[in-house]
Amino acid sequence: MCFTRHASCASRGFETNSVSVFFVLICTVLALAAAAVAPRAVAAEALSAPADSGKSAASAGQFEPAAATAPAVPSANTNTSANTSANTAATGPGQRIYERTRPRLLQVRTLLKTQDSQSSVGSGFLVDEAGYIVTNYHVISQFAQAPGRNRLVYVTVDGQQGALQLLAFDIVHDLALLKPLDAAPLAGRGAISLRPADEPLSRGARIYSLGNPLDVGFAVAEGSYNGPVERSFLDTLFFGGSLSAGMSGGPALDDQGRLIGVNVAARRDGEQVSFLVPTNPLRALLERGRSAKPITAPAWAEITRQLMAHEADLTARFVKLPWRAAGHPRYVIPVPQEQFMRCWGRGSPQNSRGLQFERSDCEMDSRIFVSGSLLTGFITVRHEAYDGSKLGALRFAERYSASFGNEFTGRDDRLRTAPQCLEQQVGGTGLPLKAVVCMRAYKRLEGLLDVSILVATLDGAQGGAQGRLDAFGVSLASAQRLSQHYLDGFAWTANNKSPAPKPLPTPTPTPVSR
Amino acid sequence: MDVLAWPLTVGRALDNHLVIDDPFVAAHHALLDIGADGSLQLSVLDSVNGVGLGLGMGLGGSGAAVAHLAAGQSRVLPASGAVLQLGNTRLRLRLPDEVLAPERALSSALPGFHVAATQRRHTRSQLWPWLTGLALVAFEAASHWTGLDPGADFSAWLPLLISVPVTVVVWCGVWALLSKLFNHHFDFSGHLKLALPWMLALALTQALWPQLAAALAAPVLWQLTPLIMLTLAACLIRAQLSHVLPGKRQTVAVGVAAMALGAVGVSVANNFRTHDSLSSSPYMSTLPLPALRLGSTGGEQKLVQGLTPLAAQLALRAKKARDGEEDGDDAAD
Repeated sequence: MCFTRHASCASRGFETNSVSVFFVLICTVLALAAAAVAPRAVAAEALSAPADSGKSAASAGQFEPAAATAPAVPSANTNTSANTSANTAATGPGQRIYERTRPRLLQVRTLLKTQDSQSSVGSGFLVDEAGYIVTNYHVISQFAQAPGRNRLVYVTVDGQQGALQLLAFDIVHDLALLKPLDAAPLAGRGAISLRPADEPLSRGARIYSLGNPLDVGFAVAEGSYNGPVERSFLDTLFFGGSLSAGMSGGPALDDQGRLIGVNVAARRDGEQVSFLVPTNPLRALLERGRSAKPITAPAWAEITRQLMAHEADLTARFVKLPWRAAGHPRYVIPVPQEQFMRCWGRGSPQNSRGLQFERSDCEMDSRIFVSGSLLTGFITVRHEAYDGSKLGALRFAERYSASFGNEFTGRDDRLRTAPQCLEQQVGGTGLPLKAVVCMRAYKRLEGLLDVSILVATLDGAQGGAQGRLDAFGVSLASAQRLSQHYLDGFAWTANNKSPAPKPLPTPTPTPVSR
Repeated sequence: MDVLAWPLTVGRALDNHLVIDDPFVAAHHALLDIGADGSLQLSVLDSVNGVGLGLGMGLGGSGAAVAHLAAGQSRVLPASGAVLQLGNTRLRLRLPDEVLAPERALSSALPGFHVAATQRRHTRSQLWPWLTGLALVAFEAASHWTGLDPGADFSAWLPLLISVPVTVVVWCGVWALLSKLFNHHFDFSGHLKLALPWMLALALTQALWPQLAAALAAPVLWQLTPLIMLTLAACLIRAQLSHVLPGKRQTVAVGVAAMALGAVGVSVANNFRTHDSLSSSPYMSTLPLPALRLGSTGGEQKLVQGLTPLAAQLALRAKKARDGEEDGDDAAD
């Protein structure tokens, strides 16, 4: 229900009208926020450096000092302040951590099999003495999907290179476990230890993120630990520092050099708003990945299996939450709870002569990166409530229908089939509705669908509400549950229910006069 | 020319009885003679192009050659006459005992007829096109009105006031020009009278048919809207084209029908390519007016359960796409 004549619709591009600049600004902000690719996806493009960086593999080490790295004993200095002391002999925590962690830090590159040019660059680190390396899934996604056409290569800080094998990945949390083909060059470097789960870090603590941003050189980025992201479906940590492209997969360490999280994403529309994957999913991945065989065939089946598990969990949690009230005087319109979604609203300008509307957009932050052109595994809910009392019935009907038709449901493309729709007029809880359910099947992910549920109220001659729920990457059973759940959310408000039919009055016997 | 004596020589040289000044005719091209039994005989003399023969054609016949006589050949011509093609020249032979075809009535579309038939025309038929035109303008105005916000000033009406007359005039003007080309008569009013009812029908269909389909909750009817509009447009074009080429009604009908079918075919093929279905809109987007809601209301269960076969269909399509891609991948690797 994208009403192009009176609103700027994010999905349809920006349309100017004669309304004020303020309205335009709100739309721009919303377009960036609501339609912005999620944190993970922004990172997907941002944190994997572009292919044409033009730097050779050897340049990665050219910014490093030539000093030999001796593994240092953990310093007793618990000063976590970012300001290092003026004493040149004492080194600050950032320098110490870097010196100690340097041998275990790597750059992970995806190269085309036939050429030496890199198609994707990220960071990684040694997590185990046996040579296991951790990075993000989105750094190696091209390899996972076409192992025959790509190869993985690591580069250490001191310029050592070698081939890598992919053992396992967790696409939901964006982690991947790798192992070098030849373990010898990386032997004896030690490993980054994980901070124990029973030692929680407090908000505001200094943490240090390492990686190779934009293939410029290995770097340390300091920032504050800001705890888990609120209203996120997947556990993510909020890092108050700058993560650039290329730092994906690098470690984020506390002041003792223990792993807090893995760099994964950043919000480009903010400053120093970055995200880390916590250590729990990493532990789980290590458990099952240690003994796994290297992946040599396209991993679509495994990707599908993991996405199915995620969507089952997402649907179960989503359907369990009751709908919130939208506050409409006439209709009960389902709006999701803000437990793992974020909602934005706006309305038509006050003095508009035409159709008045109020719009609400609810989106999830957590989106699963599958490839550069595919983000899936999330739900969005939006609605528009129209008031056409300033227009007549005919004019309102024309705009109402136009708005219902102005919904983009997709076309046949490389990733998904064209949408097929089922439509019906339903009158479940008394409120007559037009319901349309459109589905698209993923071509590579067998059994996963994109479903769009469009609903419009049909009882009002001069007003109505249209809602839309989109679920990306769900199974058929989940699609059916979500459809039922969404349709059940529409009803009349209590004081507007159509009057129940009155019972016929019982005839009173007329007294017979004597 | 009148034939006064037999034999008759035909050719380009000046000593022939019938001199034809045509470079594709030989000096002495053919000889027409009457036989002992009274039958007419045509002999072709020394000629490269020969003589083309069409038999028994009336006025306006297509003159397709029934036979062709080369140099040295002869043939007996029928008593009903013949059409002879010598080079670029067509000669028609008429014999005294030819049976005449009856007089043909002029069709009303031919120019010059309206002068004779003015007395027969009722005032009502003169009024009819005006009424249609007014109805069309009124309908377009109403459609335009529904698109405007209340309190729109006069300038919002200008597009309509300009576009409707200009479109009609330009459309009928182009067809009148074609009439001028083929019939030597710039018949603007004739085309206008033909075009207005169909245009009104198009406008009415575009506005009312989707509403009807929505009121009856019949998506199939709704998806047919472009087809119906195309049919009406084809009828309009056929009517106007027949007016331009009055003698070729059948050909025109067949031609327009073929073009319409072609257009349907192309659009359906395109829809299959991008939307995997016959129509370009996956669902009926027109919503019924509350007062006109006549369609049946189903339960949510039916809708939700209907998703299962839909998903199966989609799975098949996805599988087909996957198999196609895998073949490509294998070829690439």
